[in-house]
Amino acid sequence: MHPGFFYQLLLISQFELKQGFATRKGLLSLVTFGVVWYFILLYPLRFAAELLVEEKGLRQYFSFFDFIGFGSLQHWPIPEFGVFWQIALIIFPMLSITLAADQTCSDRERGTLRFIVLRSSRNSIFFGRFAGVMVIQTLLICVTALSTFALVLYRDATLFTLAIPNVLIIILNLILAVLPFTAMMATLSAKVKSAGQATVWAILIWTFLAGIISGFAYYLPALAFFKFLIPGFQLSDLAQLSEWQTLQLAYIPILQSLTLLALGRWIMARQPL
Amino acid sequence: MRSPIIQCQQLNHVYSGKVALHNINFELDAGEPIGLVGPNGAGKTTLLSILSGFLRPTSGTVRLFGHPPGATQLIGKVSALPQDARLDPSFTIAEQLVFYARLQGLTKQQATLEAGRVLENVSLQEATHEKPGALSHGMAKRVAIAQALIGKPELILLDEPTAGLDPVSIRTVRAIIAEQSSATTFIISSHDLTELDRLCQQILLLEKGILQPETISINEQQAATRFITLQMETCPAQEVMAKLQAIEGVLQVINPQKNEFIVAYNLDLQPNMDLQLMQCININHWQYRQLSRGKTLEEKLFFRG
Repeated sequence: MHPGFFYQLLLISQFELKQGFATRKGLLSLVTFGVVWYFILLYPLRFAAELLVEEKGLRQYFSFFDFIGFGSLQHWPIPEFGVFWQIALIIFPMLSITLAADQTCSDRERGTLRFIVLRSSRNSIFFGRFAGVMVIQTLLICVTALSTFALVLYRDATLFTLAIPNVLIIILNLILAVLPFTAMMATLSAKVKSAGQATVWAILIWTFLAGIISGFAYYLPALAFFKFLIPGFQLSDLAQLSEWQTLQLAYIPILQSLTLLALGRWIMARQPL
Repeated sequence: MRSPIIQCQQLNHVYSGKVALHNINFELDAGEPIGLVGPNGAGKTTLLSILSGFLRPTSGTVRLFGHPPGATQLIGKVSALPQDARLDPSFTIAEQLVFYARLQGLTKQQATLEAGRVLENVSLQEATHEKPGALSHGMAKRVAIAQALIGKPELILLDEPTAGLDPVSIRTVRAIIAEQSSATTFIISSHDLTELDRLCQQILLLEKGILQPETISINEQQAATRFITLQMETCPAQEVMAKLQAIEGVLQVINPQKNEFIVAYNLDLQPNMDLQLMQCININHWQYRQLSRGKTLEEKLFFRG
C-alpha cells in the first residue's frame, strides 16, 4: 500500500514546522521576531492605543488619526486592536515574503529535494511545504494577537468578552491576508535558485506589476480588473474596515491564492531537480 | 511472462538546445547489476535523472514497472543515489532518514529501525546523530547510499556510487551490491570500469547521448574465439608477443598497454590455453602479475573489433 497524498502532506508540513521551530536557524528567526514584536507592542501599539482612548474621552471634532489617514482606527471598539490591525496588515505580508521564501529552492539547489521526491509526489512536497509555512505564520499571528489581547486586559479586564470576537476576526483576517503572499512565495520558490532571489522577485513583481497595471488602468479603466492579480491588493481597503466587515473582502486573497498555487504546482511538476 | 522493469522508447532529452540523449531505446529485466558507462557528457546522469523522476524527458516514453518515473506506485519500489545531492544541514542524519522512511509508509518505530539498519549497512552507525556538515565527503556519500537502501527497493539507480570513496568504503559498497543483488536490481553508472567488471553482468554504453546498439555482455561463454588478458611484470614486449603468438591455437596477440597482453585463441584448437601460457612464462623465466580469462571491460568497450 502506497502512502496517500494527505499522509505525505502532513509529514512534510510537520517537518517544515520542525524546520521553523526546532532548528538553530528557525529559532534565531523566531527570537528576532519576538524581540521586534515586543518593542512594537510596548511602544507604538501601547502608546497609540492610549492616545486613541484619550481622544475618545475628549469627544473632539478634530481627530489626529483622521488627519494622518488612520481614521478607521476609531471604528474598532477596542483601540489596541485597531492599532494592531493596522500594524499587522503591514508586518505580516512583509514577514511572509521573507519567512516563506525558501519553501523548495535551497533544497532543490542542494539536491535534498531529490531524496524526498524519490518517496513522495511533487504535489505533496509543494502543498506540504506551503501548509507548513502557513501553520508557522498562523502561530505567529496567534501569538501576536494574543499578546495584544493580554495588553487590552492589562488596561481593562472588563473588556474580556468584547475582545474575544475581535481577536478571532483579526486572526482570521491576517491568515487570509498572508495566504496569497505565501502562495506567491511558494510559486517563486519552485522556480528560482535561492530564498534571496525569491524575495527580490517578489518585491519586483509586487511593485512593478502594481505600477504597470495602475498605469494602464489610468488610461483604460477596464484594465483595473487586473489589480486583483496583485497579492495584497485588498489590504488598503481592508485597513479601512473593522470587525466583521473585514471579511467582506475575503474572496480576493482566497482566489489569488488558488490561482498562484495552481501556477506553482504547474511549475513544480515541470521543474528539473 | 515477466515484464521488463525498465522500458525506454524513443527517449530524447535536450538541454538548452544541446542534445543530451538521442533516441534511446532499451528494455531491462530484473536480475544481476547492470552497468551504465560512457565518457563525460555522454548522458549517463541525464538518463538516470529521467529514470529517477528528477527530469522530464523532452520526448519519448519511459516506464518503470509499467509506471512513469515519479509515479506514486513506485514509492518504496525504486530508489536512487543522485549525483552530488546533499542532505539538509539543519537536521541529523537519523532525523532525515527516519523522515524518508516514514514518507515511504513506515511507522515511526519501523522507520527508526530501518534508519539504523541502512546506516549499519554502510558502517556509519556512529554518524546517526551527526549533522551532515560534520561528515567527510566519503561519509556523506555513504549516507546517501544508505538512504537509497531504505525499504529494500526492487530497483536502485546508483550514479557514481564509489566516486570519492576510500578503498575500504568501496569494498563496503561492493559488498552491499553483491549482498542485495538477489532481491534488488542495481543500475550503476560509473567511470570505474574495473569496478563494473567485477559487479555487472550487462553493460549499457552511452556515447554522445546515443545508446550503442549492442549491450555488452560480460559473459563470453558462447563465443568461438576466446580471450585471455595477461598482465606481466617488466618484460621484453616484442619477444613476449612473438613467443605467445607461436603457441598453437593463438589467433592474435595484442599489447594495448605497457606490460599488458590480450591473447585471442581458438578454444577448439587449444582448450587449455591458460596452462600453455603459464608454461611459456615459466620456460622464459618471465614474471607475471595477473592472468584472467576474457578481455577487460575497458578493452571490450573502447577497443572493440
